[in-house]
Amino acid sequence: MATGADIRAALGSDFATNALPSLPRTASTQVSQAATKNSSQPRRHKRSLLRRGGKAVHWSRDSTGVSSRRDQLRLIRWRRARDDEEPFARFAKYDVHAELPQYDAEIYEAHLTHPEWTKDETDGLMEAYGDNYGKWPVITDRYDTGRPRSMEDLKARFYGVSATVLSLNTPISSMTGPQYTLYDTLRNFDPAKEASRKKLAEGHLQRRQTEVDEETVLLGELQRIMLNQANLDSEREDLRRRLDHPLANTNGYQYNTSQALTQLWQQLLQTDRMKKNQRLRATGNQTFDGLPGTTPTSARPRDSIAGISDSGAASGRRPTRDSLPSATTPGSTLPVDMSKADLARFGVVVAQDKISSGITFASDRLSKPRIAKSTLQTDKIAAILTHAGVPDLIALPTPAVIEQFDAIMSKVHALLDMRKLAEKEEQELRVRSAEAA
Amino acid sequence: MAPTTSKRVRNTTIRRHFIIGNESHLLPYAGYANPAPDNHTKGWKVYVRPLPNGPDLTTWLKKVQFKLHHTYTDASRTIEAPGPYEVSETGYGEFGVEIRLYFASESGEKAVYREHYLVLAPYGSEEQKAKMERENLVVAERMETVEFNEPTMEFFKTLTSEDQYNWLKVKKGRGKGKKPDFVFEGEVEPTAQLPDKADAGQGGMGAGGAWSQVYERQVLAQLGQSAASLDQALDEEKRGMESRRKKMEELGVAVSAK
Repeated sequence: MATGADIRAALGSDFATNALPSLPRTASTQVSQAATKNSSQPRRHKRSLLRRGGKAVHWSRDSTGVSSRRDQLRLIRWRRARDDEEPFARFAKYDVHAELPQYDAEIYEAHLTHPEWTKDETDGLMEAYGDNYGKWPVITDRYDTGRPRSMEDLKARFYGVSATVLSLNTPISSMTGPQYTLYDTLRNFDPAKEASRKKLAEGHLQRRQTEVDEETVLLGELQRIMLNQANLDSEREDLRRRLDHPLANTNGYQYNTSQALTQLWQQLLQTDRMKKNQRLRATGNQTFDGLPGTTPTSARPRDSIAGISDSGAASGRRPTRDSLPSATTPGSTLPVDMSKADLARFGVVVAQDKISSGITFASDRLSKPRIAKSTLQTDKIAAILTHAGVPDLIALPTPAVIEQFDAIMSKVHALLDMRKLAEKEEQELRVRSAEAA
Repeated sequence: MAPTTSKRVRNTTIRRHFIIGNESHLLPYAGYANPAPDNHTKGWKVYVRPLPNGPDLTTWLKKVQFKLHHTYTDASRTIEAPGPYEVSETGYGEFGVEIRLYFASESGEKAVYREHYLVLAPYGSEEQKAKMERENLVVAERMETVEFNEPTMEFFKTLTSEDQYNWLKVKKGRGKGKKPDFVFEGEVEPTAQLPDKADAGQGGMGAGGAWSQVYERQVLAQLGQSAASLDQALDEEKRGMESRRKKMEELGVAVSAK
């Protein structure tokens, strides 16, 4: 909106002299104006912003031509009398013309020929450009030859021509920076790309809300992926490194010969035997169970303890599995060779399966199974046991008794499970009979 | 310096049976404080003993600590080898005695706790109760079996040496011999296993019989009976399941017919 100051400025500075001196004229509030003008008197009516105290000036009205226009347009307008300067001189600066590449027929013949454009068409395009001040939509609208040309095509031709003319006028090597960038841009104008770009932009404009939402979600996903890309890559690298890393530090080719293979096999057998839990099971076949490298120890008289301790230590490392054909006598692992009767006398038991190390108490095996995870379960077990007649404290925890007790406990557990199942089935039955009724 | 872990004998376990129990008498009784302190009606003795014919306990059991009820002065009573591992006291109430067993150093094992409930009053069937009252002797014992799994070499040797039975044997000197002959005089052959038949006079008679294989057979027989009754219960349950299944089928038919 044009304020009073703008209009005053446009109309000339001579108004300013008639203004009230030394009073800053702001177009702000009338209050301030009123205050500055007549502070003593109260305001009765609005004063016009444009009201000025000054002499009247004569205005005349006639038609004149516009100097900056090429045609013969005559405009009727009011003008102040003393103005003798060219009307609209101040607006002349707004009369901007488009810049046109200049060429003549020779240059055209030399550089500017185009398979699809005749000279006339090109010239026409230049003129249209100039006439329409370089506004391409307007040019496209008004410039029309026989051939259907899109705006992009027109632009392409124009830019091509401009670029060539530019390069002719100033050789490329001596172009300044901005000049060169301009030249480059002009040269690299691709009509197809531009068309597609504009279509895309228009498509964007016409999107529906759902599409917009979908796109935002997808973009968010993409962003997340991109952010974690670095992480994922490093993890993949890590994995790959791990897979590749264990390089065989032994050359597998050293086990080519059969001798080396048997050697390897012996080695593996030995190491397995050393272990506490042997993974290799003995088969009945002698050839598979390792070459007999052990000699069975014979029972020696127990007086020569000194001699025994050496061989005992050695024989203690021999395999103890009885199924091996090189099985040694039962006392081979023991430092003192004893007969079976002696074993019984001293309570030595050679166990076949794995035993836990440390001290265990046999009576525990009679009391621990009675205790279940919850007190309710424990009570149930106790009830069943008393009903069956098993005393709370079994005083004699011999192996046979323990075995019996284990059997009883398994029966107790089975009974408990069956009872639980029975409860569930009863419930189901009740439901069904209610349904059937 | 000896190595911290010595070689262990693999795949072997050494079992030792021993008895944990207590006796109790109504005061006054020989061997207990007289006059008894106020309110103390019973005199009792809690002990850890070997089997009457078994190898010596002290071979592997070096120290026993009995933790009595805190109301007793010096509630923690320690008895060291040789023996006998027992604590006599007077009192009136029953409580659980925590018994800590310390093993021989060759074994390299930590001490373990066992608990024993001190029984003072007569218990069991009428006949047993009557007998206990008559004799003024209440015995509550149970047999414990300690299993040494994979013992160390040294421990194994001590546990399999004949010296363990020396306590049962009678020394019989040889004329000029360096080592006296140990000859066993008695009826029951010493062994770590349960004897076939207990020597009637030895050991206290607890709620069970004396410690023997006879007793074992009795226990086994009893357990066998229990197992049989459990089997019966299981059969009952199975029958119940069958009948329920039939009912379910009938009901299923009835529901689908509706």
